[in-house]
Amino acid sequence: MSRIEVTHLDRKGTPNWGALTGRLLGLILGLAPLLVFMSVFFFWPLWNVLWTSFQDNYGKFSFENYGEVFQEPYLTAFKNSIGLGLISAVTSSIPGAILAYLIESRGGERLRRLVASVSSVLANTGGVPLAFMFIAAFGMEGSATLFLKLLGINIYSGDFTLFSFAGIVFVYTYFQIPMMVIVFSPAIHGIRNEWQEAARSLGASRLQFWKNIGLPLIFPSFIAAFLLLFASAFSAFATARAMSSGTIALVPLMIGNLVDGNVLAEQMNLGKALAMGMVIVSALAMIPYLVIQRRAARWQK
Amino acid sequence: MRRLRLGSIPLYIAVAISGIYVLLPLLSAGEFSLRQPATHNYGLEHYNWFIENPDFVHYLWLSLGLALGAAAILLVLLVPTAIWLNLGGSNVRGLVEFLTLLPLVIPVVALAIGAQTSLPEFAQTNEFVLSFMYAILAMPYAYRTLDTGLKAVPLKTITEAARGLGAGWLRTIVLVVTPVVRSTVLSALFMTLALSLGEFTLTSLLHWDTFTTWVTTMSQSNILGAIALSVFSLVGVFVLLMLIGLFVKPASNQVSLEEE
Repeated sequence: MSRIEVTHLDRKGTPNWGALTGRLLGLILGLAPLLVFMSVFFFWPLWNVLWTSFQDNYGKFSFENYGEVFQEPYLTAFKNSIGLGLISAVTSSIPGAILAYLIESRGGERLRRLVASVSSVLANTGGVPLAFMFIAAFGMEGSATLFLKLLGINIYSGDFTLFSFAGIVFVYTYFQIPMMVIVFSPAIHGIRNEWQEAARSLGASRLQFWKNIGLPLIFPSFIAAFLLLFASAFSAFATARAMSSGTIALVPLMIGNLVDGNVLAEQMNLGKALAMGMVIVSALAMIPYLVIQRRAARWQK
Repeated sequence: MRRLRLGSIPLYIAVAISGIYVLLPLLSAGEFSLRQPATHNYGLEHYNWFIENPDFVHYLWLSLGLALGAAAILLVLLVPTAIWLNLGGSNVRGLVEFLTLLPLVIPVVALAIGAQTSLPEFAQTNEFVLSFMYAILAMPYAYRTLDTGLKAVPLKTITEAARGLGAGWLRTIVLVVTPVVRSTVLSALFMTLALSLGEFTLTSLLHWDTFTTWVTTMSQSNILGAIALSVFSLVGVFVLLMLIGLFVKPASNQVSLEEE
């Protein structure tokens, strides 16, 4: 990549102005608009969150807001949100991984394509309509509830309700399992038959192959997918808002309440500190996810 | 022959379970939305209710307009950049990839709370600011779609060939580049539309009303109507996203974020 610098100079060492202006023009047209756009609508708002989170109500520098974050009810909200992210990642990643494995290893080309396109549709179904769909299906009088009752399964025999922690996890699986299938399938697809054959011919059993080659290869991808699911459930807002109507303390919902002004004026920058907390938790999951995905992609091709 | 293999049984079971799991909520919600509690019959009462509601058309058009705005902004911004990078024009590819992925790392709620207080006055009083914000949110997906699609065609070779055969830049762009990138650009467009149409978090936190927030407001007075609306919009978005499948080649038919 760095050899490009050399091409700006011709043999005598004078700059090749044509190539240089061409490159500059490219940078200006190709990169500058993106940078300007992101600065105004992305970096500037985030910078604003960062600095006002360190201000008290009179605009003075203070750690007060961050002190609040570790007080109740916000501490519980963080615990709940992280718990929701983890539980929902566990409940979606395992079935998703099994499904991806079965489809990639045993499914035909047609089935693989069908699953890929259905998954990419479902993975993008979030938000309010999803919540209402589940309320219609699995609510007390929901059609699916009644249908399952006919089959002898009463989902309301225990203390399950859709408007609880378990209910939210249940709804999230609807887009998280497909998300897992999308992200994890390339890892399984990447394990080549030749490797299995090579291991076989060197005398490895099926079990040995998976233990020593297969699993170590797909494990990082599994972790990456898990982190993605965690981050998506941790920061999801719309579905949780529509379902819980504020009965469960989750950080995004609390920030929503603060923004809506249902609070005392002295807490105006508290929401910013909570948002920074979310950014940190989310970055801790998403950055390793992106790094692992990048590295894993090298052999998945 | 493969149908008879015992090894495939777990696959069939898994596919059957998944199929039921995907379809059951959808069909149940569809059934629920056709119920008419007053007469214990099925009918289109709740669908008629929202179709006759003037707000429905108003908010649907508004959401469509905002989504189209977001798609236009994003395509104007990203298509030239993606083409430029795929022509081998620069060594900033890594930087662009990093930048376009960033919105994925930041929770939408955090961006919303920042946008609420930091955007300039004119942006805060004009709902088209949402188009710009939607463009930010859809950027990781749209850029990936564009980049993956463009990588699959030998863009550099064919433009050089066109130039070598005497075509000017304009001719090359219109007759060679455009047809090649069309399907990729269309799938990025649909992706952005689908994401923007369903956006709720940012919209509600910035106190604007669009189709999705209107559905939520309506649910408080008419839950059955809101369910009918949800079924309508889910089916609409499904159709939109399925269209992507028609334009994208199977290998890149996914929103995954891995490097090629």
